[in-house]
Amino acid sequence: MTETKAAPAGTPALQAIKPADLPAPPEAAIQVMRACSRDDLSSAGLSRLVGSDPVLATEILRVVNTPYFGLGQEIKSVARAVTALGVKALRNLALCLAVRDAVSDDAIPGFDMVAFWEDALLRAVAARELGRRAGLDDEECFTAGLLQDFGLLVQFYLSPRQASQWPRLRAQPPDCRLMMEQECFGATHDQVLALLGRVWGLPEALAQALGAHHAPEGAESEDVLARILYAGDWLTAVFCVGDKGAALNRCREIFAESFAMPPEEVTRCLALVTEQVGAAAQALGLRVSRQLDLEQVLNEANLRLARANRDYQELTWLLEKTLKERDELAAELNQELALARELQQRLLPAPRGDYPLCGMNVPAKRLSGDFYDFFELDDGRICFSLGDVSGKGINAALLMAKTSSLFRCLGKETADPARLLGRLNEEISETSIRGMFVTMVAGVYDPVERRVSLVNAGHVPALLLRDEGQVETFPAQAPPLGVVPGMSYQPVEIHLGDDLLCLYSDGVTEGYIQAGKALGLSGLKRMLRGLREEPPARILRFIISYLVDSSPQLRDDLTMVFLKGDNGGG
Amino acid sequence: MYPTHKAGDYLVIALNGEVDLYYSPRAREQILGALESGAHVLVDLSAVEYIDSSGVASLVEGYQLAREKGLRFALVGVSQAAMQVLQLARLDTVFPIYEDLDAALAAAAQGQGSADERAGP
Repeated sequence: MTETKAAPAGTPALQAIKPADLPAPPEAAIQVMRACSRDDLSSAGLSRLVGSDPVLATEILRVVNTPYFGLGQEIKSVARAVTALGVKALRNLALCLAVRDAVSDDAIPGFDMVAFWEDALLRAVAARELGRRAGLDDEECFTAGLLQDFGLLVQFYLSPRQASQWPRLRAQPPDCRLMMEQECFGATHDQVLALLGRVWGLPEALAQALGAHHAPEGAESEDVLARILYAGDWLTAVFCVGDKGAALNRCREIFAESFAMPPEEVTRCLALVTEQVGAAAQALGLRVSRQLDLEQVLNEANLRLARANRDYQELTWLLEKTLKERDELAAELNQELALARELQQRLLPAPRGDYPLCGMNVPAKRLSGDFYDFFELDDGRICFSLGDVSGKGINAALLMAKTSSLFRCLGKETADPARLLGRLNEEISETSIRGMFVTMVAGVYDPVERRVSLVNAGHVPALLLRDEGQVETFPAQAPPLGVVPGMSYQPVEIHLGDDLLCLYSDGVTEGYIQAGKALGLSGLKRMLRGLREEPPARILRFIISYLVDSSPQLRDDLTMVFLKGDNGGG
Repeated sequence: MYPTHKAGDYLVIALNGEVDLYYSPRAREQILGALESGAHVLVDLSAVEYIDSSGVASLVEGYQLAREKGLRFALVGVSQAAMQVLQLARLDTVFPIYEDLDAALAAAAQGQGSADERAGP
């Protein structure tokens, strides 16, 4: 940070400044200040020096009797003032008055001198308050605060045409302002102040703190005064700058870092500064243009901070937008799924009255991984099947569509269910995705002989409900289709008579009926036995409705196909 | 993650609990990951209480990938609950199944247990 401290070599504006160009403070004040730095002068000597300039003497007497700088007693003589103040305080007071009077109110046309001194007073009062807390000489802190941006006034004094830039500069936080000064004047106010300090003969320690007040962390020996001036600058910024929220936040950071003070101390300090600035102005004979309203300033700051949360609001807005897009996409997808579902349902055979076969499919989700089919062969026999694709969702639905199409297509030319499944297995093994397979029961029913030729590839057992209420099971004889190529299947021959053959998917037996309990194979058998007097289509509807009604959300697709042996009537 | 350990040149993946629609993706990922890295895989099903079709599908996928890659893939210590499901679908004829680790290692020593030696034409 030393580069901001030292004047950049070759800065023409800064090098071009001659001591004679600088504003001239009242000579008497400067002499008193210099005299106070000497240790060979008695207080009587100082009194004589002060008294030699009636304007300065009167002003010093006035100031020491104000409430702000008051010494707790009325002081009527210069000699008494000098003794009561002490050398150091006298020096500071002389300096304050020198600074105050160095640039006359009308020296810079178009420049808001009142606003400048108002800010300077805020810095001074803030520095005094912070200095008091840090155990420093509070009057010296006040003087330093009053002086810290005096360099800026000098810059305007030297370049009065830049006066219009002042409101813009004033609205910037301290660090930005410093950069803008560099642009406007080719130098910064601390550089100018350093120059001024040499010409005026400012005390060494004060000059050093003033030089470091924009880079206090880089200052040698951890200059506490420099840190106080830096904090005071930001406290003042809360009142002046456009983004009061950012300034308030920065103050909190500085308070925490430099003084280990909690955020509420910032508010307390701002309140003190607000209260005392009027008294300080009166003491120094300066004007303040406005009544500072801390509450309004804090409201504005907090509003700013809320606006800084715009990120959050933008996120919210973005989220809403994304959700809306999602909803639109979901609607689109829903429409697609509805179309797919309609198509899937059309792949299933239409119900036919007075027909040995009936079936039903209720998908757990939008699309089904189950399917069933039946159709008549040329010779009058009926080919039928029920299949279940592993997995759920669109991939299962697509494989279901493929398998059911293959079944119908190949089934019409291969009347033997074992050979049919063999061909299906080859097709699915060859082309389907790894890990996907199809369990299937397929058969051919001869309505004349009332016989069924049945094959079960990895599917849950087919059930044969005999007229007397016995239930025979026909479990899988081979693994599902699509697992191992080159499988051969052996059909089971069943004399159906007028009994009921029941094919179903595992969604039926594994579907919950209550409190997580599945219907199970035994439950299904019991239901079939209990309902065996009813027409097959009605039994089927009853069982499916029972499962759908028992479970708020189906875990798996429900599919059933019944084949009822024709007793010669149809 | 399901626990795994090395046994001979097998990586043993011990599934447990309910291998259902919720947990089977984890099983699948581990099984396929092991095979992709070139390991022979034994899936220990002794602590499986329930396995649904998605769990079975993960095993089938592992079996098929092993066959493609010429790796051994077998099941070991199949619990009764898991065995019932495998038998129901006749998948017990597809997977090499061993009673315990020793049996699996002994079979491997004799050059058995590759994925294409059980069911077939």
